[in-house]
Amino acid sequence: MADDSVERLQQQFEAEAPSARTPAEIKALRDKWLGRKNGALTELVKSIASKQPAERQSLGAASNALKKLAEQILDAQLANALAAAPPRDALDVTLPARRPALGRRHPLTQVRERVEDIFMAMGYQVISGPEIEDDWHNFEALNMPAEHPARDMQDTLYLSSPVPVPDGGRAATLLRTHTSGMQIRYMEQHEPPVRIIAPGRVYRRDQFDATHTPMFTQVEGLVVDEGISLGDLKGTLNAFAEEFFDARVATRFRPSFFPYTEPSAELDVECQGCSGRGCHLCKHTGWIEILGCGMVHPAVFDAVGYDSTRFTGFAFGMGIERLALRLYGVDDIRMFYENDLRFLEQVSL
Amino acid sequence: MKAPVSWLREFADLPASASVAGIAERIAGVGFEVAGLEGEVIDFEITANRPDCLSIRGLAREAAAAYGVQGPAVLGSGGPAVLGSGVPVTIESDLCGRYALALADVKVGASPAWLANRLAACGVRPSNNVVDVTNYVMLETGQPLHAFDVARLAGPEIRVRMARAGETLTTLDGQARTLDAAMLVIADRDRAVAVAGVMGGAPSEVSASTTRIALESAYFQPAPVRAASKRMGLKTEASSRFERGADPAAAVTALARALDLFEQIGAGRRVGGVTDVHPAPVAGRTVTLQRAPLDRLLGDVVPDADVARILASLGFVAAPAAGGWDVRVPTWRVDVAREADLIEEVGRHWGVNRVPATFPALHTAPRRSNAAVLRARRIRRLLCGAGLQEAVTFTFIEQAAASLFVAEPASLVSIANPLSEKFAVLRPSMLPGLLDALVYNRRRDLDDVRLFEAGAVFSTAGERQRVGWVLCGARLAHWSQPPAAVDLYDALGVAGVLTEAYTLACHTEPATDAPWFVPGRAAAVIADCGTGPQRIGTVGQLRPEIVDARGLSAGIVIAGELDVDVLRDTTVAGRRVTPLPRHPAAIRDLSILIDAGLPAAAVRATIRAHAPASLVEVREFDRYQGKGIPDGQISLSVRLTFQERDRTLTDAEVQQAVEIIVDALAGTHGAALRH
Repeated sequence: MADDSVERLQQQFEAEAPSARTPAEIKALRDKWLGRKNGALTELVKSIASKQPAERQSLGAASNALKKLAEQILDAQLANALAAAPPRDALDVTLPARRPALGRRHPLTQVRERVEDIFMAMGYQVISGPEIEDDWHNFEALNMPAEHPARDMQDTLYLSSPVPVPDGGRAATLLRTHTSGMQIRYMEQHEPPVRIIAPGRVYRRDQFDATHTPMFTQVEGLVVDEGISLGDLKGTLNAFAEEFFDARVATRFRPSFFPYTEPSAELDVECQGCSGRGCHLCKHTGWIEILGCGMVHPAVFDAVGYDSTRFTGFAFGMGIERLALRLYGVDDIRMFYENDLRFLEQVSL
Repeated sequence: MKAPVSWLREFADLPASASVAGIAERIAGVGFEVAGLEGEVIDFEITANRPDCLSIRGLAREAAAAYGVQGPAVLGSGGPAVLGSGVPVTIESDLCGRYALALADVKVGASPAWLANRLAACGVRPSNNVVDVTNYVMLETGQPLHAFDVARLAGPEIRVRMARAGETLTTLDGQARTLDAAMLVIADRDRAVAVAGVMGGAPSEVSASTTRIALESAYFQPAPVRAASKRMGLKTEASSRFERGADPAAAVTALARALDLFEQIGAGRRVGGVTDVHPAPVAGRTVTLQRAPLDRLLGDVVPDADVARILASLGFVAAPAAGGWDVRVPTWRVDVAREADLIEEVGRHWGVNRVPATFPALHTAPRRSNAAVLRARRIRRLLCGAGLQEAVTFTFIEQAAASLFVAEPASLVSIANPLSEKFAVLRPSMLPGLLDALVYNRRRDLDDVRLFEAGAVFSTAGERQRVGWVLCGARLAHWSQPPAAVDLYDALGVAGVLTEAYTLACHTEPATDAPWFVPGRAAAVIADCGTGPQRIGTVGQLRPEIVDARGLSAGIVIAGELDVDVLRDTTVAGRRVTPLPRHPAAIRDLSILIDAGLPAAAVRATIRAHAPASLVEVREFDRYQGKGIPDGQISLSVRLTFQERDRTLTDAEVQQAVEIIVDALAGTHGAALRH
């Protein structure tokens, strides 16, 4: 019976010991078991005297062994606890860091560069050009002569008086309504083959509300070579859509009209919000229109002096704001121009 | 264009099983986007090149072709049986290609419900039976008609002529208008009674008391109609059709259709025959379609039979010819003038989605992107790395905001037709927009704002590329130290990041030509180019009045701008490194007392002018003013580094150099050495 009680006490001690981790907890445990007054093991040793002599020897040995073991364990735990305690000059590692200041590129820049990067990887050259344009480069060379009804599609902002351009060409009279003028300039200066991307700000006399802005960002592309076909346009844009959305997306081409392409089409991609089943994002059609495209109109080649019987080409253009709205799940286009840091700091670094 | 399906079915044998939505989708698939769908009415968006589809017959033809069923018969065949209405018609301008007129006795009243309902379904407000019939026929055929009250026509006779300078006409909308000599008008013997192709005049309007009408069906050239419509700010159902191009062959048949309808609904009866003045009948165009360009442009081979079927269903007459077809273009297809237009027709109805996707081959090495593009990309990354957030602000701003940031207000470029005063001029500087963005954030309790923007700025001299930045609040707020506000040197450092990235040696001078900065707190950044010094930017503290006026009180805002056209990329090519020195440098620190107004650059220049070639660097490391320093003076501490490439300098020669420098500073600036 006596051995039983020692064994039980040992089990009890061993169960309790690990939970004492700080020096204070260890001291409390030591008092409970080894305290001079009411320590459980002290009491055990005291009780031996009242036992039968036959029991005394074995009980005494067992009790002392347990006491020694308890002391060893508590000493070891105390040593560990003291070793783990932070030094006086310890730093509070939970305080905020001193982070070097970091800025982010604007979401519109990020989306635009993403588009540019995809086409650069396909061997396209990214070009730039003036934001104020003359009538020839913005309209006439693009098969939109004066009084052409298609000019209504792009309500134009005009300058009060002409502004000179650096290359000594025609003075600028308007804010470009698309970046196509750059493509005309490029073709005027280079022979085919052409594989270019023309990004930039464009301007239309549109109201400023949740879905319209008088200024937006466009990326246009142009390929001219011998034997370029509508099939090539489809293959290129399908590849672009897959890269851009980072997924195999279904696409569909709908015939449309632009004065500078013939045939013309609009490209829809399957709505990412509903996988084509129909939701409020795609107005329940299952499709989202992302760009306009087509085969370069021979009148455009005539305007820049390319032989339209020898060369063919395709062109496409997309609005970066509309892509960004989809990508970031934003429903008011004005957010891109407010420059609210709480918004801008949510996009990736 | 709103089209009730029941009306389309009158002209196209669409399958009975086809639903409204199905029909809408099929027609959308050949290029007519659906803007809305309500009951059996489909609202199609008609692109500017297809005036023929601003009509039920036109849309029915597309629908029939899409379904491969019988479509509407050609309008325009079959002329009037009786010639001559009795009203003389003269065309005095070639802007009018055809003018047909018929008289009818009418009983003006309400239209039957079926007719009024159809007009309403198409978005046209029903009026009286005479006007309703003209509108009905216009919607059905695409040919605008106009009815005059014959009793109100002087003569009666019709003259199609240019308006006389100063001639006036009150149009049907009640507006008294002064016409100009570039406008084509319909006139009676004495005066203008309608603006051709745009709107009729109120004096000859059909009214309840009208008993006889003259019904006009004409062809006007598109450009003058568009010009007149724009000048008067008046867009009508008629003008939107004429300005895109009406079908000159349809004039008389549309007139006949209207006369028949009058009889059918009991609104009136034709009187006499039809006057048809047609000075220059259009010769139908024939366009050659070759097989090789067709295959090449589409990247697909559409079988001969399908090419013929598609063209025929759209009203083209395709006759096989060597290597392709000679295609006669119907008069209503004003948009088809060359081979590519025919290829589009084939592609549209063959189905763009059926064309196999291919990938164009690269025949030459890709060219490097434009230097300006790569530079803008690099600038953005550099400044983001330097802790500034990119902003995107509008290119056009308020005149008042722009004026604050130019030395010469006459150099502003203004917009002739701005949307509002807020968007009236092109930005002459990046700063007004950036300041607005900064203020926007400060108003939302974001205290530490660092923004930049790269883009174009404008003046009457032209367009230039710039980068601008604005800073306010704490330099780097952290719990470990009291916040230190940003100052001029932070903004100068931003300029330094860019000039260093483009290895452009620069120095700064006080700027006095930028009145938007606080005097004494503005620096001109000057590049030491091979061609001599060139001003490339300005940095400073914005005047508090300007900041306050944008609605941010007591804010210290530091800003800068740099012209980036001078930054030329030399990152890889042309950047050879110098071998590292193998002998130790000797460093001496000097603290001198100088006038507080003496620029550090002057001290530096004196040191350099008197030091031996072994002086490799001069750097200020402390500037102190206050206790222990006489009034009006400062203590400036500079570190001098001496080094020779081929040997170790001796103490004696360094000491000698320092003594010469100290003497020169004393002699030139009265500088005393501080111990």
